[in-house]
Amino acid sequence: MLKKLLLIVFALACLSASAWADDPPAWLRQAAASTLPQYGKDVVAVVLYQESRRIYEDDGRVKTVDSYAVRILNADGRAAAHAVASYSTDSEKVKDMRAWLLRPTGEVKSYGKKETSDFALAKNDVYNEVRARLLNAEDDAVPGSVFGYEITTEEKTIFTQFTHQFQRVLPVLLSRVSVTLPQGWRAESVTFNRDKLEPVVNGTTYVWELRNLPHLEAEPAQPEFTNLIPRLAVSVYPPAGKSAPVRTFASWQDVSRYTIELSDPQTVYTPEMEAKARELTANAKTEFERIQAIARYAQAVNYISIQIGLGRGGGYRPHAAAEVFSKNYGDCKDKANLMRALLKALKIESYPVIIYSGDPTYVRPEWPSPHQFNHYIIAIKVSEDTIAPTVINHPAAGRLLVFDPTDDDTPFGYLPDHEQGSYALVAVGDAGDLLKMPVTLPEANRLERTVEAELSADGQLTAKVSERSFGQAAVDERRMFKRVAKPQYLKTLERWITQTAPSANVLKAEPLDDALAGKFALDVEFKSPSYGQVMQGRLLVFKPAVVSRRSSVFLTDTKRKHPVVLESEAYSETVKIKLPAGFEVDEFPEATELNQSFGNYAAVCEVKDGHLLFKRTLVLKSATIPVEQYTAVRSFFERIRAVEQAPVVLLKK
Amino acid sequence: MKLQRLSLSLLLSLIGLGSVAAYAQQWKPLDPAHVALKAPIVEKDADAEALLWEVYINDNTDTTEYTHLLRVKIFTERGKDTQSKIDIPYLKGVGIKDVAGRTIKPDGTIIELKKDAVFDREVIKFGGFKLRSKSFAMPGVEPGAIIEYRWREISATSDNYLRLYFQREIPVQVVRYYLKPLAGAMYPMKTVTFQGASSNFVKDKDGFFRTEMTNVPAYREESRMPPPDQVRTWMLVYYAPDVRKDPATYWRDLGRQYAEVAKEFMKVNDDIRRVATETIGDATTPEQKLERLFNFCRTKIKNVNDDASGFTEEQLRKLKDNNSPADTLKRGYGTGTDIDFLFAALAQAAGFEARYAKLGDRSRKFFDPNFTNPYFMRAYNIAVKVGDQWRFFDPASTYVPFGMLRWQEEGIQALVCDSKEPVMVRTQLSPADQSRIRRTARLKLTDDGTLEGQVRVEYTGHFAVSMKEEYDDETAEQRETKLRDAVKERLSSAEVSNLKIEHPQDPLKPFVYSYTLRVPGYAERTGKRMFLQPAFFQKGIGQMFATSTRQNDVYFHFPWLEEDLVMMDLPEGYALENADQPSDLGFGELGHYKVNIGVTQDQRILQYKRELRFEGMMFPKSSYTALKSAFDTVHKSDNHALTFKQGAVANVKQ
Repeated sequence: MLKKLLLIVFALACLSASAWADDPPAWLRQAAASTLPQYGKDVVAVVLYQESRRIYEDDGRVKTVDSYAVRILNADGRAAAHAVASYSTDSEKVKDMRAWLLRPTGEVKSYGKKETSDFALAKNDVYNEVRARLLNAEDDAVPGSVFGYEITTEEKTIFTQFTHQFQRVLPVLLSRVSVTLPQGWRAESVTFNRDKLEPVVNGTTYVWELRNLPHLEAEPAQPEFTNLIPRLAVSVYPPAGKSAPVRTFASWQDVSRYTIELSDPQTVYTPEMEAKARELTANAKTEFERIQAIARYAQAVNYISIQIGLGRGGGYRPHAAAEVFSKNYGDCKDKANLMRALLKALKIESYPVIIYSGDPTYVRPEWPSPHQFNHYIIAIKVSEDTIAPTVINHPAAGRLLVFDPTDDDTPFGYLPDHEQGSYALVAVGDAGDLLKMPVTLPEANRLERTVEAELSADGQLTAKVSERSFGQAAVDERRMFKRVAKPQYLKTLERWITQTAPSANVLKAEPLDDALAGKFALDVEFKSPSYGQVMQGRLLVFKPAVVSRRSSVFLTDTKRKHPVVLESEAYSETVKIKLPAGFEVDEFPEATELNQSFGNYAAVCEVKDGHLLFKRTLVLKSATIPVEQYTAVRSFFERIRAVEQAPVVLLKK
Repeated sequence: MKLQRLSLSLLLSLIGLGSVAAYAQQWKPLDPAHVALKAPIVEKDADAEALLWEVYINDNTDTTEYTHLLRVKIFTERGKDTQSKIDIPYLKGVGIKDVAGRTIKPDGTIIELKKDAVFDREVIKFGGFKLRSKSFAMPGVEPGAIIEYRWREISATSDNYLRLYFQREIPVQVVRYYLKPLAGAMYPMKTVTFQGASSNFVKDKDGFFRTEMTNVPAYREESRMPPPDQVRTWMLVYYAPDVRKDPATYWRDLGRQYAEVAKEFMKVNDDIRRVATETIGDATTPEQKLERLFNFCRTKIKNVNDDASGFTEEQLRKLKDNNSPADTLKRGYGTGTDIDFLFAALAQAAGFEARYAKLGDRSRKFFDPNFTNPYFMRAYNIAVKVGDQWRFFDPASTYVPFGMLRWQEEGIQALVCDSKEPVMVRTQLSPADQSRIRRTARLKLTDDGTLEGQVRVEYTGHFAVSMKEEYDDETAEQRETKLRDAVKERLSSAEVSNLKIEHPQDPLKPFVYSYTLRVPGYAERTGKRMFLQPAFFQKGIGQMFATSTRQNDVYFHFPWLEEDLVMMDLPEGYALENADQPSDLGFGELGHYKVNIGVTQDQRILQYKRELRFEGMMFPKSSYTALKSAFDTVHKSDNHALTFKQGAVANVKQ
């Protein structure tokens, strides 16, 4: 009987636990009761509550509880009803993931393991420990619903730094992050994209909080959201003198030492590698040529990413150079490290450089941390004899040439444009420091085009287009050329020509890539039977801009919320068109000159010896233009567009 | 004795298995000429070429075992980049074993793929679904190298139909399949090859049969091409009884069998009769009666297979299955099949002859009745006799108007199943004017070249089906964003406001959207002239065929009609300088392109009318130049500009 009773009690206990598990927590009910301000039509959902609580143990283990509540305002906002927990299998565990949907009717639906999917985040890597768990309630979340979740993760990592983003793009009513530390530990924080945010400290708990964050709208040519959203970077330190299995970084020198510690042991080279280095440089006459030969070899190493041991610094430790040499594949740090090893075999000194690839404004000097970087390149010590746009002066190491062997389209001596101007850590051991990467002038990255053409009385145009690209402009051309097989490349060229020259038949297309010199040449000949429009046998109308520019900035909205980010570009074109006999020029586009702090544009037409000459030049500086100057930027590009669309009118004599 | 015989049989089967396993453990001898090969053989610009692609398929056991081998020569850096990383995805119920690989460098050095370099990763896991992948990177790859890798794939299931592909994304010198057919199969193994020379299996050793093809070009996709199964080279292996009948007899017999099965699902009861009578109401002609029944089925019965049915996943899980048309009627929901059978039952109740009809799907493969197997006959409709003609209906496709079918099912042979006399009948093909885009714009051009006004676009027929399918499960905001982006894609400076979408989910009405538009700089200006493209709806649209060469045939899914009317107020102070208009263009029986441009006497209003009717669907690549030329002319005419001169005297004809 007693046994039976116990069973009943146990069953009831289970039932009540289950019912409790399905009940939304109090914080969610409270968040759901929040009063909302008035939002515009474009706001599809609002985050009512967002909190991340990190609790540290003495041994560096961290338990994190993330709580989140979002109200769905309209059907477009349904996509916000999901929870994601990313984790690395070597050091993190998602211990619990639960969610609830509070429908406008008052009904509550709870979600758990059954509704959760688990997937690899880096699908293109051969192996990567980073995964994500997703719980999606989108299908159930009708407007007016409140979706909330709670995720508990446990992490065992050597790192004690983290960043926190207070919002994504949705408006947020309350966003909070806290750390609770063991006795004697301390936390320091840095705030990005807003005034310094001071924590409220209660015992060993630090709390940072923001309220009423506005909606962030996406706009063309805007800064990255990571440069708009308020972010917090936190560093946690164990008590001085107390040994803890964690790695802390108080200065850039700490980060430099750590980088060297992980990298240098991996640069050991084998006799085969030394022989290869000597073979590669056998015909090199100068220091530049010797390093260039090694650089080209490292560039040709196949990019393959295998990420293991991320929580233990695996993301910063290259594979042994000998292994990469033998397999002829690796990721960015493997390629840079192999290059270091080969240079070492030639007694050429080099240093690892860690950088953020993709946004030159991402890295902030005020927070020394390896977590600010996602890419690994190299700096090579060079003498005064070596001159290149990417040579920098390091206070301790002297002249260093910075190079990215992962980008196999950017030649030695240049840096990809998305790395130029970025802060990067040059890991020169104790003397390592954050340095700004060099920026090349727009003119060094120019595209020069000449067009020689002949227009017949029936509107047919026969044209020879010659393009010469340099620096980054050549990189862009090279990428297009290398990305696809030759037949597809030729079709791409045909599509480009037919954008402006209808029914054009491409007669010849000769690309010539001189990667070593950082140049790319393209000669195209084509015939367009109906380029000019004949009107009543009296007028012949055509556009002097025979082919389109390769890039354009479209700023069509009249209002703007974020600054405009312009990329450096330089372009010049001379078009010479032989005009048909029996016609005279009645009209052509008027000369235009636009000069702004961020760029200059000029276009001019003239008629000489039966030819029409059309010249246009554009120089854009890499710049972030404040919202106040939006009208000027928009008008600049609008004027260019209008000028380049304007036709020439020939009149029959 | 029995035991002895069993052991012998087991031993024999183990020997057989052993030889496949042995094959999986060793590399085929390398031809030194392949190591020395400097340029591709099959396609001169290839970045990489498969020297050998071999697959052993042992269909002889409860499972199906595939042993794959691929040997690829790398010619360029791009070839290196695209071929070095290998992913072998596999689902639950499939095992991937004995992965091995090696790279043969141009100097003959061999680098083996190490076992620990093969990673097994879980790509995604959700409920019972699990997708895993064996992933590895080939070591030491460089231009001039040969990479080869192999693996065994064991599938827990065995299928009566196997698809063997002979084309890859790179050209192949030799592709060879070895197949050990299903032992004790009820029917003998058969093969059919599509888009390639018929390649029969010949007997090989250890019970395997072999087939091969050589110098197979890479498979590449192009826009407006026939479906992949109609373009690439492949073989279907299947088990079926010997057909000693002519195709007509074969299909007739099959039609009888299908009819017997379908009969059960088309039963008429009193409820069906009552609803049929009520729905038909005062309709008198067969056409009217059928249209009412058809519209009843697609408006009153929710299709649970439709993503816009309104049911949540949770609700769908709880729905009961329908076992009869009466169930479907009573519950008000059903699968696509349920809805079509309900329509058949209602039509029968109304006195029509209704039959279940099986047919192919031309978005997958063009149906050929000479292939006497139902494999490609996967779609179904309801055939109803009207007069002495069979007409086909598919109310399960909610947005397909009465009288039409999904484009995938129009104009193809359908088997009208009947327990006595099944017949093969071609389904109707809707003419161009049933799939129409009608666009109207009432605009005003200002003297700075800005165009502003109201625009309306209406889609019917297959266009409307496609638009509704695309937009029906989207929110109003998503629809607006999509349509606004579509306008801005061709007119980058366009400002779109007051966007309204009508009937995105209404099965009976056309799909319509309208908006207010402002396009600064629409007309181009010089000092004294303004140039205007009156074909407003075509401005900014590129040529239909931009490239001069073509690898595949051109395939339009259905005939269509475009009708545009643009009315434009012209700015004061400008007069038309040229009043010529593009010539009309005739495509013979395939349609026409007509343009009419007119200006009112006072030169204040421009009227532009355009009509493009095209009934053509399939064009062999040999006719590409002519087809391209026709559409280039249309494009040129669409880009025709009118010139207005400041202060000029009118020079126009009415």
